[in-house]
Amino acid sequence: MSLIGFLILFPLAVAAVLLFVRADWPRAIIVGGSAVVIAVASIVLAVQNIGTAYAPIPFASHFVDYIGTAISIAIAAVIIAFSVKYKNRWALILAVVQVIGSLVFEFGFAHLAPVAEGLYIDSLSIVMALIIGIIGSGICVYALGYMRDFQEHEPEDATDRRHVFFAIMFLFLSAMYVIVFSNNMVWMFTGWEITTVCSFLLIGYTRTDEAINNAFRQIIMNLAGGIGFLVALYVCAIAMGTLSFQEFLFKGLMRPDIASIAVCALAFAGLTKAAQMPFHTWLLGAMVAPTPTSALLHSSTMVKAGVFLLIKLAPLFLVCTFPSLMVILVGGLTFMLCSFMAISQTNAKRVLAYSTIANLGLITACAGVGTPEAVWAAILLVIFHAAAKSLLFLCVGTAEHHIGSRDIEDMDLLFERMPRLARFMMLGIMCMFIAPFGMLIAKWATLVSFVDTQQVVLILLLAFGSAATFMFWAKWLGKLSGIAGNPDNVELTVHPSEWISLVLMACIAVVACIALPIMSHYLVEPYLTGVFGQLGQDIAIDNLWISSILAVFVLVVLFGGVNASKKKRVGVYLAGVSVDSDTRTYRNSLSGESVATSRNLYLDAIFGESRIKFAGEIVCAAIIVCAFVASGVFPMAL
Amino acid sequence: MSFVYILIGTVAFAIVAPIVGCLLAGLDRIISARMQGRVGPPLLQPYYDVRKLMEKDDVTVSGVDGVYMTCALVFTAFAGGIFFSGGNLLMSAFIITMASLFFIMAAYSSRSPYAELGAGRETLQVMSYEPMVLLMAVCFYMAAGSFNVADAFLLDKPVITIIWPAFLGFLFILTIKLRKSPFDIAMSHHAHQELVKGTTTEMSGKTLAKVEVMHWCETVLFLGWTGMFFLWMNPVSFVIAVVVALAAWFFEIWVDNNFARVKWQAMLKSAWLVALVAGGFNIIFLMFV
Amino acid sequence: MSYATKSPWVIHYDASSCNGCDIEVLAALCPGFDVERFGIINTGNPKHADIFLVTGSVNERNISVVKQIYDQMVEPKVVVACGTCACSGGIFHDCYNVLGGVDQAIPVDVYAPGCAVRPEAIIDGVVQALGILDEKSKALKASKRGA
Repeated sequence: MSLIGFLILFPLAVAAVLLFVRADWPRAIIVGGSAVVIAVASIVLAVQNIGTAYAPIPFASHFVDYIGTAISIAIAAVIIAFSVKYKNRWALILAVVQVIGSLVFEFGFAHLAPVAEGLYIDSLSIVMALIIGIIGSGICVYALGYMRDFQEHEPEDATDRRHVFFAIMFLFLSAMYVIVFSNNMVWMFTGWEITTVCSFLLIGYTRTDEAINNAFRQIIMNLAGGIGFLVALYVCAIAMGTLSFQEFLFKGLMRPDIASIAVCALAFAGLTKAAQMPFHTWLLGAMVAPTPTSALLHSSTMVKAGVFLLIKLAPLFLVCTFPSLMVILVGGLTFMLCSFMAISQTNAKRVLAYSTIANLGLITACAGVGTPEAVWAAILLVIFHAAAKSLLFLCVGTAEHHIGSRDIEDMDLLFERMPRLARFMMLGIMCMFIAPFGMLIAKWATLVSFVDTQQVVLILLLAFGSAATFMFWAKWLGKLSGIAGNPDNVELTVHPSEWISLVLMACIAVVACIALPIMSHYLVEPYLTGVFGQLGQDIAIDNLWISSILAVFVLVVLFGGVNASKKKRVGVYLAGVSVDSDTRTYRNSLSGESVATSRNLYLDAIFGESRIKFAGEIVCAAIIVCAFVASGVFPMAL
Repeated sequence: MSFVYILIGTVAFAIVAPIVGCLLAGLDRIISARMQGRVGPPLLQPYYDVRKLMEKDDVTVSGVDGVYMTCALVFTAFAGGIFFSGGNLLMSAFIITMASLFFIMAAYSSRSPYAELGAGRETLQVMSYEPMVLLMAVCFYMAAGSFNVADAFLLDKPVITIIWPAFLGFLFILTIKLRKSPFDIAMSHHAHQELVKGTTTEMSGKTLAKVEVMHWCETVLFLGWTGMFFLWMNPVSFVIAVVVALAAWFFEIWVDNNFARVKWQAMLKSAWLVALVAGGFNIIFLMFV
Repeated sequence: MSYATKSPWVIHYDASSCNGCDIEVLAALCPGFDVERFGIINTGNPKHADIFLVTGSVNERNISVVKQIYDQMVEPKVVVACGTCACSGGIFHDCYNVLGGVDQAIPVDVYAPGCAVRPEAIIDGVVQALGILDEKSKALKASKRGA
């Protein structure tokens, strides 16, 4: 209990302090120190509570309720101030609706359903706490070095607002802890809204037109999701008489007809936050922000809050048909279509963004299926995705500062002098999609659960989506594959704090892959027994061990075997007379010199955004609307 | 326990598959030659080729392609070991994809325009056949009740009786997997001059020998997948499976010699269409009928 | 016997041939002569080839190409000059831009004359080249062992 309180309040205090620290060195010490403290506290919490199925923590306080209300008003004030300043009508309307809605709720309805056990801890929240505490704070450390470079790249007269940046990062962590430990849905909602506004501020950090536009896109979509959450709160308080999430689950299982609309509204909130189609554009837009922001949004916070909520709702998806169908179809379609669109992207950060959205889609679909197997897969996907994606974002961020480009096409020759970074990037990519690494094992479990629950459509979406996944990762990996053989390492300009976090992320990814069987046993299975009363173990333990052994093999090769060999080096074949093999220059038929260049396949004519995006958005929006109508009109069906 | 089987299987596969694969490759060349009105090389020609390649001098462009190819070989052996020890079909499929990935990386690593072109096309090939492979595995799972190949021997009747559409779909993508015309767009066997032999442009000597050996092993594995459809509890089924696999292989050679290469667009679209129709309908049939 | 002699892969380059010899090289691969009987394959890639078949004479323009292909071939390797032009420059010998036979550019191991060179002569030349290839292969092996 005290540890949970500490995890929520400590980052908050750090955020408050950082707001007033403008010098580099003190900030480095505070950020580094508190990152370690948060990570250690999360690990201690995990160790103390390992194997906990579900443990409610009695805690209720009107004081906290009022603080929550005050925070809601403050959030609304911030958004309203920004939307007036930048003249954004929609954000203004939504913010006003939301603040009125939550005030009416707080003073009119919240007393209908007091919650005695305001906090709780279970294995899922432990997993999330570890992700937030280790990966999230690791990203904060990375940001130290990155933001220094970032500020140097800014024009001379740009104001230095890094203190705000770091304060928001820590506030973000605190809000995430609130979400994962709150049983009181109103508190959870408060945390939810804080993450929304924090990402708004982080995305708009640079204050360029593009950044402001994208920040408003984010806030509009997520405010809409927040209003969905608010609707769910009203339904829970009025129709179901409870605001405790745990009780909501129980009552929902008894009376799916009443819960249906609330589940639908909560799932809608989850979908917006998890950037599922048609709301995926906000996460793409978030790419304009400095890279630590992207890493934080993609791997450990924000979008993970969305899928966290969906996974929590999984047992109800088993009984509520329409919300379940909505989540399954939107998630599955998002997975396939975003994987397709990732093929056509040359910008590394956009590829990562699409792959994040696709993976979140898969997690969403698993949550929607709702069986123990599917939830097992979903949780493992969350873990592996967080580890691998943060590693990749940090690599891309560092690369961008050193080669001056985010384009994958530039990642061969320019990148040549950074073989170590290239290997980390390769590790991250491999973790994302190939066999012995956890991500694929999780995908496998997903496939099995789809088969067992007879989700034909999902199987097809998964099959084609995975094929596309292979394509876009393999060609990126290919671009990097030649660099590792290069002997000289000229990475001296990379900041030490960046290396620390890169190595940390790589270690987490590796440990997660190798220790998969152990992790499944101690972290994921207790949650399943707690929620479903049974396990859905469908992948024999032998297979898990085989993959860990193979993963070790690949790692050894990647970091030990791929060295510059002593073989004789020769130039490439250019079908004619090479002038300079290193630059791929050859003598052409007019005795001049030409450079042979090749680009990867981007298949824009087939998988281009222009072909897929609009159709996908329309279909997914239609699915969501239909699900709401159906849940409202025929709650008793099936 | 099954883990030990897999290790034994892998070692056995690593020894037997190259021999069988080599003989099949030699036979392939003789049959192809006869279809073209030629006599063709000796049966052991592929073996001579590989031995010759191993005698060549060691040179490399990137310095790492050899390591990547070794990985590809090891993973191919593992995939075969898992399959032939009666292990998990899906695992086998995933690991053979991993082997393809390392092959692709080996090609990319030289960063030569021709090799990159080949590598890009090889990725397209993988993307084209991957859905059908996955759906084939799902169909097998639904028909046999398990992903374990060994469980096929417990069935009353072979899975082909209910998943023949998936088998036909698999035969279609088998052409891509065996690198046969009309889908040999990344690296052709016959026309040795097509885009300077795509993926292997910058490989020579031992590295190229590894590519050949990997291809032998792959052939054996994929023919194993083909035979798997015909297994049931009757021991005779094993003979039937071998005969069918050889027939499928002969069919692929016939296709190889009779069809002109297509563009990648045609390959991608047709392979995905086949996967959608054959795999999709088969799964729907298994679930709801 | 080294395995090099059982699987000689050739690469064919038309230096400045009139295409007469080139047609004959291809004829050797066709069903009539079917040199694949001896494991001979016509590759398009010098990195895969063991035997370099050059047709036509070497001139100022293509000498660098001939040299480069030769350099890109991996040891052990042999060169067969196919046809009179490749052997000596032939009737183009006195042209203003012709340097002469292939041996002006790279060391030639076997000369197969003829205008155009007969497929039988090409096959004979290749078979003779195999003996030299065998020796080179053994020498390479010995030097590797010594190193």
